[in-house]
Amino acid sequence: MIILATITLDNLSMQYGNNGSRYTALSEVNLTINEGNFISLIGPSGCGKSTIIDIVSGLKAPTTGSVLIDREPVSGPGTDRGTVFQDYSLFPWMTAFENICFAIEHTGGCQTKTEIEKQAEEYLNLVGLKRFRNAYPNTLSGGMRQRVSIARMFSMNPKVFLMDEPFGALDSLNRIYMQDLLLNLWSEGERHKTVLFVTHDVDEALLLSDKIAVMTPSPGKIKEVIDVPFSRPRCRKSLSATAEYLALKSHLLSVLYCEMMGELAQQERNFRGLA
Amino acid sequence: MMEKIPRTAIAVYLLLALALAVQVLVPDAPHLAAADATAFIGVLVLLAIVFTAGLVIQKKDARAVTDLFLVITVVMVLWEVILGKLSLLDPLLFPGPAQVFQIFASDGQQMLYGAVGSLCIMATGYVLALILAIPLGLYIGWRRRLFDVAYPIAKAVSPIPPTVYLPYAIVLLPTFASASVFLIFIGAFWPILVGTIYGVFAVDHRIINSAKTLGLTDRQMVRRILLPGAMPSIFSGAMISLIMAFISITVAEMIAATSGLGWYIEYNHQFANYDKVIAGMILIALVVIGVMFIFDRIQRHCLRWQQTE
Repeated sequence: MIILATITLDNLSMQYGNNGSRYTALSEVNLTINEGNFISLIGPSGCGKSTIIDIVSGLKAPTTGSVLIDREPVSGPGTDRGTVFQDYSLFPWMTAFENICFAIEHTGGCQTKTEIEKQAEEYLNLVGLKRFRNAYPNTLSGGMRQRVSIARMFSMNPKVFLMDEPFGALDSLNRIYMQDLLLNLWSEGERHKTVLFVTHDVDEALLLSDKIAVMTPSPGKIKEVIDVPFSRPRCRKSLSATAEYLALKSHLLSVLYCEMMGELAQQERNFRGLA
Repeated sequence: MMEKIPRTAIAVYLLLALALAVQVLVPDAPHLAAADATAFIGVLVLLAIVFTAGLVIQKKDARAVTDLFLVITVVMVLWEVILGKLSLLDPLLFPGPAQVFQIFASDGQQMLYGAVGSLCIMATGYVLALILAIPLGLYIGWRRRLFDVAYPIAKAVSPIPPTVYLPYAIVLLPTFASASVFLIFIGAFWPILVGTIYGVFAVDHRIINSAKTLGLTDRQMVRRILLPGAMPSIFSGAMISLIMAFISITVAEMIAATSGLGWYIEYNHQFANYDKVIAGMILIALVVIGVMFIFDRIQRHCLRWQQTE
């Protein structure tokens, strides 16, 4: 039986620095991700998207508020959350295979060495990197490294998946390939989990998500949550031609554009103030 | 395949043949005539064999191997002609190659025992330093509070040359061997420690974050993440330590030993046996080359994940 978890962000705030120069990175962020939902956080850089991932993964503690996974508060990092970062998830001194084994070892699910190795092998095959089993990350391309990272995340069999701009460093063709791979893997049976996904790419968010949370910077806030109503499985080609898709895309772009212009004006004022 | 071997390779063989011919055909300078030349001839033949083997084994680096041997053979020929045959400089201070290499035949056993003894003392001190400095450095690098205390101390103490401790080491420790081990340990400890600490700092915090998301314990974090992550910097520290260890052992032996490489040079210097002094220097160079080669191989194996092809 597959247990799906919920993620609840309950009134999260994050402030850096001490009383003299306080910088508010996040302010009153509330968001609930239902069982098995794929939610994307989208927004201009510096709006606190990655900070949210860091808080949910337990790397940072929020100033106020809390994160609940299945109504259990998060108190630190743990293997109930599988995380993929932009390009720094893998350990360069371990081969692709060793990286996955290492992660499985620490989830405590598999006990014997042969069990771990069998599972690692299986996930490496799943992302099509059987031949690169003994390659070190430095010798792999950026796309291959992210495939290993994703295989590692799936192999850990966590309650939820957290992804922080996992395809942000890839060229556009590789990105398309990776999005399709992720969707294919995620759609099937026990690999279907609750996902929190950070991106700055509108098309990526629309293709992958059930809901999109649009964030605004300084201080980081969720401005609105948009439902993405398209049925799954989704086809990139036919989807991007529908009127509904185009309407959603233009709405998202205009919201983000407004935010960006506001932010630029703000920066300019700050700069004048300093000068 | 044949055309890949550089043309200069022929020059190396010609120079070796020239050296051989000069040695056999031209008589030594009159006052050196007694010297037996078999060892030098042996060295020349050995050089030819090693060079050929090098060309076969290191096909990719044939040019580098050839250039290296070209320099060595030119030095040999110049040494032989200027000092051995023409005796242009004081033959007592600057003996020819035939005379020097003959020492390896006559004093070979003594030199070998000396080299093995020196290496044993060095290895003991060096390994002790590795065992202590690496775990300590990992821990200091990982715990900010410990670092704040340890760093100023390390900064103040590490530049002190290890030989400064020699007077106390000799007085306080019962044997020369234990005093030297201590000296080498002190000399090797600091560079490894500092290298390890900097290595921990150099580990990308994003990789540490990625490790944290796997829920590692502190112990696992240090062993599986910080140690391999700091390894490149540990190796550069260990390299400096190795050089320090060579200097320490040689100086210590020159001052206080009754055997070993440094002692051999110092002892023969007192009797004005400069041919033996030069032979000792050549032996030290050979030992250093050998140890560095092994070090390099270990480093390449441990850091194989850094290669990008």
